[in-house]
Amino acid sequence: MSDNTTTETVTLTVDGQDVTVAKGTTILQAIDQVGTEIPHYCYHPGLSSPAMCRLCLVEVEGAPKLLPSCVTQATEGQVVHTESENAAGMRRGVLEFYLVNHPLDCPVCDQSGECKLQDYVFAEGRERGRSREPKRIFGRDDFGGDVLFYGDRCVMCTRCVRFMEEIEQKPLLTIVDRGTRSIIDTFFDRGLEEAEWGGNVVDICPVGALVSKDFLHKARAWDLKHTPSVCGSCSQGCNIDLHTRDNLVHRIKPRFNADVNGHWMCDYGRGNYEWMNRSDRVEEPTFVDDGRAVQLGWDVALEALEQRLAGVTGGVKAVVSASWSNEDLGAMAKFVESLGGGEIVFRSARAEDESPLRGFPSLARRRDLVPNIKGAELLGMTRVGGDEGRGGLEGVADHDGLIVVLGDDLADQDEFFGSKASLFVYLGAHTSVGASAAHFTLPVSTFAEQKGTFTNHEGIVQEFLPALEAPGSARPASHVISSLVGAPA
Amino acid sequence: MAITVKTMHRPEPGRTSYLRAAVKGMSLTLRHMLNPSTVTQQYPEEQTELSPRWRGTHRMEVHADGRPKCVACGLCPTVCPANCIRLVGGEDDQGNRYPIVFEIDEFRCIFCGMCQEVCPVEAIHVGRHFENAEYTRERFVYDLDRLMEQDHPVTLLWDPSDPAGE
Repeated sequence: MSDNTTTETVTLTVDGQDVTVAKGTTILQAIDQVGTEIPHYCYHPGLSSPAMCRLCLVEVEGAPKLLPSCVTQATEGQVVHTESENAAGMRRGVLEFYLVNHPLDCPVCDQSGECKLQDYVFAEGRERGRSREPKRIFGRDDFGGDVLFYGDRCVMCTRCVRFMEEIEQKPLLTIVDRGTRSIIDTFFDRGLEEAEWGGNVVDICPVGALVSKDFLHKARAWDLKHTPSVCGSCSQGCNIDLHTRDNLVHRIKPRFNADVNGHWMCDYGRGNYEWMNRSDRVEEPTFVDDGRAVQLGWDVALEALEQRLAGVTGGVKAVVSASWSNEDLGAMAKFVESLGGGEIVFRSARAEDESPLRGFPSLARRRDLVPNIKGAELLGMTRVGGDEGRGGLEGVADHDGLIVVLGDDLADQDEFFGSKASLFVYLGAHTSVGASAAHFTLPVSTFAEQKGTFTNHEGIVQEFLPALEAPGSARPASHVISSLVGAPA
Repeated sequence: MAITVKTMHRPEPGRTSYLRAAVKGMSLTLRHMLNPSTVTQQYPEEQTELSPRWRGTHRMEVHADGRPKCVACGLCPTVCPANCIRLVGGEDDQGNRYPIVFEIDEFRCIFCGMCQEVCPVEAIHVGRHFENAEYTRERFVYDLDRLMEQDHPVTLLWDPSDPAGE
């Protein structure tokens, strides 16, 4: 790699196109810059390159034989051919070898549709294999954690082994045996349940050899809608894609962001999506009028709320949740300010300690298990309660003025919470016993159902997009609150 | 184009004899009596010969042990132009992928036969069959059990011994 000469560049020719790259760039990365992709398995931008898949071989004029582009550095005046008879023929041959023992069980394989072997063979492989010998059979193996291994599908790129060695730095996977019998395996009775980042090996596996148990047979890759979002499981703010189908989140995959999470995300965040599919949702704006519950839509509810707000006395106390976006929390802060100011508190679960990813030091599963704690703190909100995200609301429960709750589902509170308040407004996503005394119950959408931003622990503000449709008439909380801010206090 | 008026010359009532027409009609009737080349089919006692390429309601092939052949690969709901197939995959107790839910709405189906064409395991077929009367509309959503029970012959659009059509 280049040391103090990072500004130095080299110019090479890839398939007749000139490209200028920084010195030290590999040919594979240069080809990437041209805009074409050279097939590869063992190379992964987040890992080292062992140059063992033999798929990224390219023809370089003057070189005696084909060179692996993932480890060969680009040099001045190099002329690279990726589509020459030699290079393309080599790829076709290598792909045929990959299929000698591959079971071709695409109909039952979860990777089907996002499989690199499928893609490459479809694009460049032979129409029909010539191998007539019986295929070797390994069957499947439980690697522990969320990971299931189908040995027959493996192409031995060893990305998973290198991830565990270089990035997680817990070498739980290895290659055993040699030649065609070689296979990825765990050590005896140990497995990936000891890993906290093991789910990443499923993402980086280019074929269907490592699949997620949680996602097993749940949906086909081409049916899933991918929505860029931000992980809501801790204050790290990993960039993710929510994969949804039928208005349900089916899985979470990390999205590359060099500054925050690289290519990776932790198993905790990956598995924490079922709450987005909860069906016990507040769906219609409801308010209590003369002891009767009234459900007449947003306009009537908001008008009634404005009238009630005008006569409220005794000061404001607000409880928010740091799982709501900056926009929602900001609207809340404005709203409380417009009523003369008051205390805004939030509660959040906090883990015992961080679990860092050793090979990617800026990434860790942070202690705070909510995404927007920084955003809430910057808005002047204070954290109360214990590390399990409970308690701390003693002062609010018996408050006799206005209580506004946003997002916090009051799971630890009883039905008397807020019963002494002159006005209790619950802006929530989920139904809750703690909100039984609420005069106004207004449905709001979760972060998976709206657009917004979270501020991560470093202060990076990151946007997420709606992946799901909110149930009933639920709206983003910022829309609801901002229509009240003009109300007479 | 000039407009012309065509005057119809009809026989006046009372001055018309229908005898010639009656004889002509009766002669045809008598000819059929003497030469009974039948065109009326005595359905349902007699069954229609369906074309080998007839595409009717579906059936699901089963293994010898009664399991459906379907592996829930999801290709038929993907290819279906009428979007009438609902499939939820899962894993059975032997570790095989299988359909937990497989439903075909025969009302939405347009009987194009692409589900049969795309099936990698020769599980779903369109049938040579048309008698589908039911008492309720709901019965036209065929679930997996119903599809497996069907025993009518399947279409010969694709030769089972040569599914790729070579």
